[in-house]
Amino acid sequence: MTSTYLVEVIITNKKGVRDPEGETIHKHLILRKGYASVQSVRTGKYLLLSVNALSGEDAIRIVKELCEKLRIYNPVVHDIEVRLRG
Amino acid sequence: MGKIAILKFPGTNCDEDVYYVVKNVFSLDAEIVWHKSFKSVKGWDAVIIPGGFSYGDWLRAGAIAARTPAIESLVEARDLNIPVLGICNGFQILVEASLLPGALLPNENGKFVCRWVRTVVERPKGPWLSMAREGEVLDMPVAHAEGRYYVDEKTFYSTLMKSPLIRYVDGENPNGSLYNIAGVATEDGVILGLMPHPERASESILSPRGFKAGGRVIFESLRQSIKRGW
Amino acid sequence: MPLSHAEIDEIRNILRREPTVEELAMFEAQWSEHCSYKSSRLLLKLLPTEGRNVVIGPGRDAPAVKLFKDWLVVFKIESHNHPSAVDPYNGAATGIGGVVRDILTLGAKSIALLDMLYLGDPRNPHANWLIRGIVKGISDYGNRIGVPTVAGDAWFDPAFNTQPLVNVACIGIVRPEEIISSGPSPGDLIVIVGNATGRDGLLGSSFASKPLSEDVDKDIGAVQVGDPLTEKLLIDAIEVIRKRRLAKYVKDLGGGGLTTAIAETAADYGLGAVIHLEKLHTREPLTTLEILVSESQERMMIVVEQSKLSELVEVLENYDLMYSVIGFFTDDGVIRVFYNGSKVAEVPAKELAKPKPIRRASSPPMEALKGLKPLYSLPPEPRYDDAILKVISSPNVASKRWIYEQYDYEVGIRTVIKPGYGDAAVLRLLDGTNRGVAVKGDANPRYTYLDPFNGAANAVAECFRNLIAVGSRPLAIVDELNAGNPEKPEHFWYFEMMLKGVAWMAEELMLPVVGGKVSFYNEDHTGRQVKPTATIVGVGRVQDVTKTTTIDFKESGSYIILVGVTYPELGGSEYLYRVFRLEEGEIPKPRPCSELRNGRFVYKAIKLGYVKATHDISVGGLATAVIEMSILGNLGFDIDLEKVFAIGAQRIDEVLFSETQARYILEVDPKAINNLLKLANRFGVKISIIGRVTDSGEARFRKRDKTIASIDLDLLRDAYRESLSREIEGGI
Repeated sequence: MTSTYLVEVIITNKKGVRDPEGETIHKHLILRKGYASVQSVRTGKYLLLSVNALSGEDAIRIVKELCEKLRIYNPVVHDIEVRLRG
Repeated sequence: MGKIAILKFPGTNCDEDVYYVVKNVFSLDAEIVWHKSFKSVKGWDAVIIPGGFSYGDWLRAGAIAARTPAIESLVEARDLNIPVLGICNGFQILVEASLLPGALLPNENGKFVCRWVRTVVERPKGPWLSMAREGEVLDMPVAHAEGRYYVDEKTFYSTLMKSPLIRYVDGENPNGSLYNIAGVATEDGVILGLMPHPERASESILSPRGFKAGGRVIFESLRQSIKRGW
Repeated sequence: MPLSHAEIDEIRNILRREPTVEELAMFEAQWSEHCSYKSSRLLLKLLPTEGRNVVIGPGRDAPAVKLFKDWLVVFKIESHNHPSAVDPYNGAATGIGGVVRDILTLGAKSIALLDMLYLGDPRNPHANWLIRGIVKGISDYGNRIGVPTVAGDAWFDPAFNTQPLVNVACIGIVRPEEIISSGPSPGDLIVIVGNATGRDGLLGSSFASKPLSEDVDKDIGAVQVGDPLTEKLLIDAIEVIRKRRLAKYVKDLGGGGLTTAIAETAADYGLGAVIHLEKLHTREPLTTLEILVSESQERMMIVVEQSKLSELVEVLENYDLMYSVIGFFTDDGVIRVFYNGSKVAEVPAKELAKPKPIRRASSPPMEALKGLKPLYSLPPEPRYDDAILKVISSPNVASKRWIYEQYDYEVGIRTVIKPGYGDAAVLRLLDGTNRGVAVKGDANPRYTYLDPFNGAANAVAECFRNLIAVGSRPLAIVDELNAGNPEKPEHFWYFEMMLKGVAWMAEELMLPVVGGKVSFYNEDHTGRQVKPTATIVGVGRVQDVTKTTTIDFKESGSYIILVGVTYPELGGSEYLYRVFRLEEGEIPKPRPCSELRNGRFVYKAIKLGYVKATHDISVGGLATAVIEMSILGNLGFDIDLEKVFAIGAQRIDEVLFSETQARYILEVDPKAINNLLKLANRFGVKISIIGRVTDSGEARFRKRDKTIASIDLDLLRDAYRESLSREIEGGI
């Protein structure tokens, strides 16, 4: 029996890789408007997949596999987080 | 002062183009003003926000520039009746600053597009379109990644259909804009924003075969309007 | 590539002691192939680099050539092949960033970018991913910095499926009296401007100086993210700095990072330097070694007199640019590096900057024989309607619209001849005159693979023709030689032959090679080299941009003129590859005398106003050239192949698709035809009137009364305009 799971994929630049977009939002918007408590900003890309699978783990496995195989992210630059929504 | 301010932000890249055209093609007095030095619209004959990628277009195109003091000071333009033109990124900034309605989303095909297109003017009015005729076709190039205009139906019918509007000719919509919208204005036409680049379509030498310099009417209108009002 | 034992011994000799780790890292970065040209330097001397228009030749970050007496053109070519294979988006983007900064170093205004891309089969999933990423990277970076991408070259071949070639060039202009070139003096301050230095891009140049490792993840140290916003601010700031004459010298922090920038500057001016590393702005805590060799992007070195520092700082702060004053130049020729007061390195600048050149062994591989044997027997003649459609729809021939429409080719309002309309792009100078500059980049990887010497020579000739075809006078070229592993004699042979081919043809056509780059180690993880490729970028002088010519047919009734003699040269042709999958045979011979004679004739004919449209003949031959003119002009044609002046051709395809060099197609008004014939006579040029432009909506080739091919223009237009997009978008 399969049911439908919502799986989130968040793609961000790896820790050591720069993120000029995040840096710009941080420096030119957030800090300039006085939110000095914000230490840094990292941006990323968000995908929401609706997957028919046997279980939540199965849904995650399918999504992880396709992210690898279809180059949804570039492992050289990006980290991904794959998780169930809900 | 009697001058046109061309506003420049980090990442603005059409400031010199607009300056050249306004000054050398239309003999208007203009100055490129770095955003930090722009305090108020008072004293300027008109303000042009040129194209480019202000603050890298990050977050959303125009979003960061819209929160700068320079743009926040533009609110006064409406009350003072000072013409404001946003071209491409300038249009995105005006929309992000809520000086014009709607939103500009990433192009339908997800790609930057640089191409000459034909547009049509509807209900021309105000300082930027006073010399244009109803239904006049204007050829201009677009060059943007986030130009898909979006607006809710209610605003479209209640506001935009009463205001000057520039639309892509059917079949030439390069980005999937709703209602083929290429440019919108306030009802009186004092604030106009458009995705195509009139400054790139103001000299015949730059128009490719089959296209006319459709941007001229915008700057000619401005020249007349500054002299005689609109 | 780590230093060899011999090199480490050499370093001990230079220092007369054991090197510190910092010193070793500095030598490793600077002595990498990428920075030092150690394998190529001896051969590079063969290139003709001088000419009466050359103001600054090879050596600086970018050369300068006299465009007019009151304008210099500064141009440069770069490759970013290895970074683009690993991270196509950022790899290509940072390639643009680097080449633009090179132009900035002379204070020139960047007015155009070119991209020469040698890519894999669009239907191969990995290659497709690379193609999209590379084009998007160039688009996002080039568009954001406001420099139009106006021309280039694109080629698709499975040989580039995993290792593409990404060659980019930038063209700048500057007034001769405003060029930043006074050079540093002892006591001048070293200011590093732009992005904070980080761990990204550690030893990137040594990364580019070795083959891709199988596990690309290990190469993470070399991944760098482009920051076009900072680049744009650097462009804006340096324009002000140039106008106010605040800098004595500017250099990019590119390959080899801080080490290379300082070592080369000091060595070039016989100076030394004192550097305090702790003063540099960094993004994270870094070791001294990392600071010295990090290749973080968007950083430049500005050398300033002490008295002008505060004025410089004011400019930088106005543009929100980060900066640090890290040291000063000295007169003793030694670079001394300190960290919090303690000395971490002390090396002589000259010895650091230039390692001894290496003489590499070179021998041709068996594979090279493919291009040396003549084609004894051709396959049977095909149906020519089909063959023409196949060639026109080849991604190597079809419109590159899918690529160039992603580029803002209009920004700057200079682009008079835009992508897709001419053999070269033409930009006006926007100085109140009608003067301009023509630019184009060319290569043919199949030619250089089959015959590196003649293939490279043909690339120079094609660039020359493209510049002529728009009505410009070719002035100078730069070259990028993409080859395999220089340690393998059978790879190095290709490099050596390409270089000699460029040198020969450049000399013959009187085109000084004012700069260039060498990229080695272009091989996949199995050690197979990609097709060795010689990329040429040239600039031409345009007296009047309103008198240039484009490709498109203008008027029904015009004569179609073929300039030059056609020989049966189908070896290495697009026709053989596309129709029969053959990639062999002798490639077309370079014909320098004909190039010069025919080129001068076409230039003159355009100048005298006889010509309405011009197109050079290259990939795909005569058939392709006239069909392109026809599609773009939306006019048909009727051509009698019997009229083609051909020597030795026995078959129709040897006329239609031969890629014989030194040929052009002209559209000529019937009223001007007599004048043109007289002019041809005077120049001793062979021309043939081969047909007429028609409004029939049909492309027709016949032999006297016998129709060879007759194709509806709409069908051809669709194939030409949409094929590349179909290959890429529907390619998986």
